Amino acid sequence: MDVILFTLFNGLLYGMLLFMLSSGLTLIFGMMGVLNFAHASFFMLGAYFAYQISKYIGFIPALFIAPLIIAFCGAMVEKYALRRVHKFGHVAELLFTFGLFYIIEELVQMIWGKVPVGYHVPEYLDFTLFSMSGMGYQAYAMFTLVISVAMFVVLFSVLTKTRAGLIIQAALTHPEIVSSLGHNVPRVFMLVFGLGCALAGLAGVLAGNTLGTEPSMALSLGPIVFVVIVVGGLGSLKGALVASILIGVVQTTAISLDYSINNFIEFIGLSVDVESLWRIIIDLTISQVAPILPYLLLVLMLIFRPRGLYGNRDV
Amino acid sequence: MANLFKSFSTWIIIGVIAAILPLIFDSSFALTLLSKMGVLIIFTVAYNMLLGQGGMLSFGHAIYFGLAGYASIHIMNGIGAETLPYFPTVLFPLIGAVVGLFFGCLVGYVSTRRAGTAFAMISLGFGEMVTAMTLIFVLFFNGEDGIQTDRMVGPEPFGITFGPQIEIYYLILFWCVITVALMYIITKTPFGRMSNAVRDNPERAAFIGYSVRRVRWQAFALSSMFAGAAGSLHALNYEHIGFESVSVIQSGAVLFMAFIGGAGHFLGPIVGAIGLTYLDSTLADYTEAWLLYLGLTFSGIVMFAPGGLAGLIVMHGPIARTDKKLLTSLVKPYLLAIGSVVTGLIGLIGIIEMLYFRSLISKGEGEVIIFWTEFNANGITSWLIFIGLILGGVFLSKKTFPMAKESWDHAISVVKTEISHE
Amino acid sequence: MLIKFIKLFLLISTLVFYSMASKADEKIKIAIIEPMSGPLASVGLDLIEGLEFFAERINNAGGVLGGKHIEIVPYDNAMVAEKTIQQLRKVIDEDIRYVTQGVGSNHALNIIKTLGKHNKRNPGKEIMFLNHSAVTTSFTNELCNFYHFRFDANVDMKVAALVSQMTLDPSIKKVYLLNQNYAYGQSFQAAARRLLAERAPQIEIVGDELIVPFGKILDFNPYVSKITSSGADTILTGNWGPDAARLIKATTNSQLKVKFYTIYAGIPAAMNSMGAKVSTFNPIVQVTESHENDSTHPDWLKEIDAEYMEFANKSPYADRQRFMMEMFAAAVEQAGTADPTQVAWELEGMTGRGAHGDVFMRAEDHQMHFDMVLSHISTNVEKTFIYNNEDYGMAYETDGWVDVSDITLPTTCKMKRPKR
Repeated sequence: MDVILFTLFNGLLYGMLLFMLSSGLTLIFGMMGVLNFAHASFFMLGAYFAYQISKYIGFIPALFIAPLIIAFCGAMVEKYALRRVHKFGHVAELLFTFGLFYIIEELVQMIWGKVPVGYHVPEYLDFTLFSMSGMGYQAYAMFTLVISVAMFVVLFSVLTKTRAGLIIQAALTHPEIVSSLGHNVPRVFMLVFGLGCALAGLAGVLAGNTLGTEPSMALSLGPIVFVVIVVGGLGSLKGALVASILIGVVQTTAISLDYSINNFIEFIGLSVDVESLWRIIIDLTISQVAPILPYLLLVLMLIFRPRGLYGNRDV
Repeated sequence: MANLFKSFSTWIIIGVIAAILPLIFDSSFALTLLSKMGVLIIFTVAYNMLLGQGGMLSFGHAIYFGLAGYASIHIMNGIGAETLPYFPTVLFPLIGAVVGLFFGCLVGYVSTRRAGTAFAMISLGFGEMVTAMTLIFVLFFNGEDGIQTDRMVGPEPFGITFGPQIEIYYLILFWCVITVALMYIITKTPFGRMSNAVRDNPERAAFIGYSVRRVRWQAFALSSMFAGAAGSLHALNYEHIGFESVSVIQSGAVLFMAFIGGAGHFLGPIVGAIGLTYLDSTLADYTEAWLLYLGLTFSGIVMFAPGGLAGLIVMHGPIARTDKKLLTSLVKPYLLAIGSVVTGLIGLIGIIEMLYFRSLISKGEGEVIIFWTEFNANGITSWLIFIGLILGGVFLSKKTFPMAKESWDHAISVVKTEISHE
Repeated sequence: MLIKFIKLFLLISTLVFYSMASKADEKIKIAIIEPMSGPLASVGLDLIEGLEFFAERINNAGGVLGGKHIEIVPYDNAMVAEKTIQQLRKVIDEDIRYVTQGVGSNHALNIIKTLGKHNKRNPGKEIMFLNHSAVTTSFTNELCNFYHFRFDANVDMKVAALVSQMTLDPSIKKVYLLNQNYAYGQSFQAAARRLLAERAPQIEIVGDELIVPFGKILDFNPYVSKITSSGADTILTGNWGPDAARLIKATTNSQLKVKFYTIYAGIPAAMNSMGAKVSTFNPIVQVTESHENDSTHPDWLKEIDAEYMEFANKSPYADRQRFMMEMFAAAVEQAGTADPTQVAWELEGMTGRGAHGDVFMRAEDHQMHFDMVLSHISTNVEKTFIYNNEDYGMAYETDGWVDVSDITLPTTCKMKRPKR
């Protein structure tokens, strides 16, 4: 029982991290139709800015200042580059952000070097808050969890309950009408893109110190973010939340299961030849295949339910 | 028919020229480079069947390239260990093609329902999944180590062992000419035209009775088949295959080549493959910032010249056809504009190189060699020089660009009036 | 149109290739293929800097063969096996006769195999592989080759040292093995299983796991919970890079009290990304050939360390690059030529000076042998680790030395030697 509980809890922690990362992307995609390949790069920038700021004025200011800087960077990217590419279509936008991904990674190496930087959890949050069956949980991890939950609640209510949220939603589907009502649609898009990047930046601030802040972090986190938003349903915030937690729990659970197909075969009283080629597959334990499970989920989802968990249109 | 013959003769000319190349540039570095170019030309042109001809942006096309490579290596090792019957090395790309076609049909069936960003994302998902699999199914893919082989197996017809690089180069060249010619012919067939129609206007294509998905699927499968042939040659060339060959990095590289070269024109990807392979093998040794320049070039092309390099050249076709003098009249304003851009770029490159230098090395006095000249990265003068160059470049561009644009507009308007007169 | 394009292409390519015509010079070149970009760039760049430093020392002392200089030519493999092979091809094309590499046994394996084919097909143009840190045992066993020399202890030797130290601590009863799933990690796993059974039968293996290597696992919490429930008191791991740092961080964050016995957890980049608090929460034991704070650290080596500090602004991490370069220079000098075959004959069985007695290149398998020191990361040290002017506030503290005779293991190498 304990084991199940803390596996689920670990899964939740990891899942909420994924949610923080992907919420900005799903927001941008849902609102603007832009698939931002460089999303994880903004996450990385968030971690680096937080490192630099917390070195001088501390972690709490960094928590606010770093996402603001990222929001500004994101808005500038939208204003001076994406808007120009927009006329060539969404694929061109995607291509541009693919180039941007390389540019940001190289710029980060240029400024902070290729060595991981020493960005650490602040002292006052670095203690064990509680423990569960022998495993301690750090106060910082809980702090991150609380912020990520708050992030979901605020985003969700802003988008569905407030006037600003309604304008944003309308600007996507009916830009001409919104524009004729006196709203500046390009500006709305710029703000949405900035906000989406800021969310990634915030995730970077919070996760950079536990994952390690280094130039390759964008590459290692990028693909999983796409899995989350496709599985959740493109543009659905709720979907992103559910998909993140699902992937988090699936992966964490899988790692704790040391069973292979061979165990099952032996369990029912059969055996397979040691030399057989099938051993390649049947000897693998579930914990070993854990890294492909998210992508397998993605492929299965695309085959059987292309709109994702909560999406309202097919992929 | 005459047209077909003409195109055949062009292919033969290209083939002959490429066959002579290693006799002119006989250093082994040139040979290695040419072999690599040959493989990547096949792969990039195959990729462009999707991107340029079919309008499908894939981030996972290396799957077919890489899996074909793995299959070829395993078969070659099997032949070497005499557990498999002999299969002539010359025909190995056929194995790759079959493997590529098989996986292309399989994955294509699932992923070609939609084009655009959705397709791109699915391809990325597949790419990541296969990459992850190579690290997990260690017995087949051998994970991070990759697999080695020895291509000198079996009998040696006419004394050809495929040991020396020159023999592999001619093998690659042979298949390069054949496959590229085939892919060129495909673009001229009704199927090729249909593929373009589906790219440009899927609704209309569906309306005249074509299954859009089916056309995409066929294009996808064919493209994967040629990618597989390239993968096989890649494996033979290096006698090794690793997970990087199926990864998104490889897919990204081929995307860069096709797009920078120009996805809209058949020659574009070839230009891109040759140019980027050359720069990748040489420039990467001189500068740490090679990937930064590549990313900047790519983004710049997406923003300002979506047709790629080939697109820029083809753009001037109508002018050249109308009046040669018109084209020469463009040269001067163009040179001025390019000159001012280059001035700015030199400044930018200087700054980037010095920044990189400072981030890398903490020793010495800060001497850094940029453009064969020694600068001091810690001295204020060198920074001022480069910043001055950038400002100068921007200033000059502001003057020269309107001039270039004016001449272009003038030339095009002449062309337009000529056409309307005809 | 096509014809014009071809003409243009020919013109450009002629110019380009003409500019690349190779120039002969009098230097002895050693190509070093390491990651200079990607997730493990920091490790590769430090090693390149180290080699450049030792080459420069030799050159400043007058070079070899009456004034010839040694030049280190770096090649970036981005930690990608294919890129390694492509760069190696370039090394061959540029007629460089010595290659050195160390980060990642997967790359070393590919270099050994590729050079094996090259040396067989091109007699008289052999290339020697000076392996400074790739430790997979098979390289000096079944894969051994006359043109390969390993200047680091192999995994079996290092694990033997770790296990000998573990037997001295009676509180170690249950050990958890966690390794990276590639040539090196598998080699570590096999050695640990075998040597624990041979030398420490009282220690029980309660977990044995291979993970996907090189920073692909972001969240180590599930592994930590597995380790917790297994009741292990010690983790024996060959992990390095982010895989080591993240594992240790995750155990510290969940307040799991275990001992770490590792080979590479003390690599500077790992220490920095963990920080002093994490690095010293649990004892992290590593095994190296020497370290600065050891009481027996000889004065002449201290001088070299100080020189290195001036050169690179870094504290020394390991000593193997020093004796590799010194022995290489001596072998070239003795052979009287820079021909790899002659140099190889001289290197066989050669001895050099080490931090704790002599170091010795065993002739039968080209494996270096020396005393090894076990140390743990500590903040209570005389000299803390300095990296690019940044003081990490920690370094290594000696736990004990293992004599070379304790880690000398038999080899299965059957080497084919060319005629002398």
